[in-house]
Amino acid sequence: MAEPIRISLLAGRYLVFDIESVMHLRREHGLCGVLTGTMPQNPTQNLFLGLPQELRAEEVGMLVDRGAGYVVDDAVEHLRLLKEMSTAKGGKRREGYVKELKEKRRAAKKLFDEEKEMFRRMHEGKRKKKEKKKTEEGDDEGSLFGSAVEAPVVKESLPAITPSTSNAMLDGDDPLGTAVVDLPKASAFYRHLNTRGFFTTPGLRFGGDYSIYNGDPFRFHAWFLSNCYGWNEKIPMLDIVTSGRLGTAVKKSFLFGAEREEEEGEKEGEVRMFCVEWAGM
Amino acid sequence: MSLTQRTSALTKIVLNNLAHQHDWTDLQPHSQPDLPRTILHGLPPKRLYVHPDEQVEIIKAEKEMGHGEDRIPQPPELEWVLPLHLSEKWSPAEFAAVFDAIESLPPGAPEITGEEEGKKPWLAWRGRGRGKRMLLATVQDDSTVTYYWIHDGLVKPRQN
Repeated sequence: MAEPIRISLLAGRYLVFDIESVMHLRREHGLCGVLTGTMPQNPTQNLFLGLPQELRAEEVGMLVDRGAGYVVDDAVEHLRLLKEMSTAKGGKRREGYVKELKEKRRAAKKLFDEEKEMFRRMHEGKRKKKEKKKTEEGDDEGSLFGSAVEAPVVKESLPAITPSTSNAMLDGDDPLGTAVVDLPKASAFYRHLNTRGFFTTPGLRFGGDYSIYNGDPFRFHAWFLSNCYGWNEKIPMLDIVTSGRLGTAVKKSFLFGAEREEEEGEKEGEVRMFCVEWAGM
Repeated sequence: MSLTQRTSALTKIVLNNLAHQHDWTDLQPHSQPDLPRTILHGLPPKRLYVHPDEQVEIIKAEKEMGHGEDRIPQPPELEWVLPLHLSEKWSPAEFAAVFDAIESLPPGAPEITGEEEGKKPWLAWRGRGRGKRMLLATVQDDSTVTYYWIHDGLVKPRQN
């Protein structure tokens, strides 16, 4: 997978449409994002959703800072690329794109044909059995209606394909030339956790800003539910007590932290963290 | 009522609660110029916190000792207590200041030498090298006190 990864900004959400990129982000950058894609006619609310993957703004900020990704405003970019393809500049890209569409169509037709053949064979087997049965029973009645039973006529049709990606359109485009540069910065708290190999997912499910995992969430249970505060932000004690209690109830501890504000002689950007758990007394 | 009077009343409530409801002993108020208020230290009747990695060491060692009745002793440890009122609001900066001011072990805690630690690896979580922690004693107006651990830094949670 070649970095930088293309992140599409659509309606204020940061989306990744390429499965290779999603895998790369998970393996190399500790980002699992949230898969949001579903079929419009059969929307499901479960966890088994597909592409695109949505990333949080601060995750995107961190990736761009590392030079591992770039963000494009896809509503504008998509139209620009389409238009450019009918000019001399985009001619070659157009060829590549049309070629890819044809290949996809061919592959789909092949699958479609194979399935058709399978059904045909299945029905053939059934028909043979029926005919065999009839000849055993005798031909006196069968001759009256037998001719009505005929093989169903299968209408010849080609699969209609809506391409799910238009990656081929990007071939040869200068990615960074069109990138969005005004991005939110990742908090030091988040970067601190990410660089130490911790995975974070949105924490609403457990009652905090983040759930924090000691590795890939496929392999581990979350260790912490967590909130990030400002260095001098006043936290009501009740928030700490309730979060601590809630964390203990879901077998986690409550982690909160802040980035130290620059003071004289202090380490710049140091992140302090505290863990709260029920004392059991 | 002045601020110092209020916090000293708070300290007194927590001290009495620990002594009479939770049977703590050796309770002492502790003040230092760099501490924002008087905190407490004392000895609980039984051990309150076992780090999950220490637990692993203990289970390993007990397994090696065989299946007898022998258990590795886990005497209570001296602990810090930070009295707070529920209506207070503390910033991360203030918590950091308290942790920076205290030692990991309260005064009077038994010293554990490196030699002992070598022989009994679980002692590493009981000596001077143990992570800084305090009991947050949060007082409500009806004098209910709730106790929560607060650890300095990112500490692996216990397996409840």
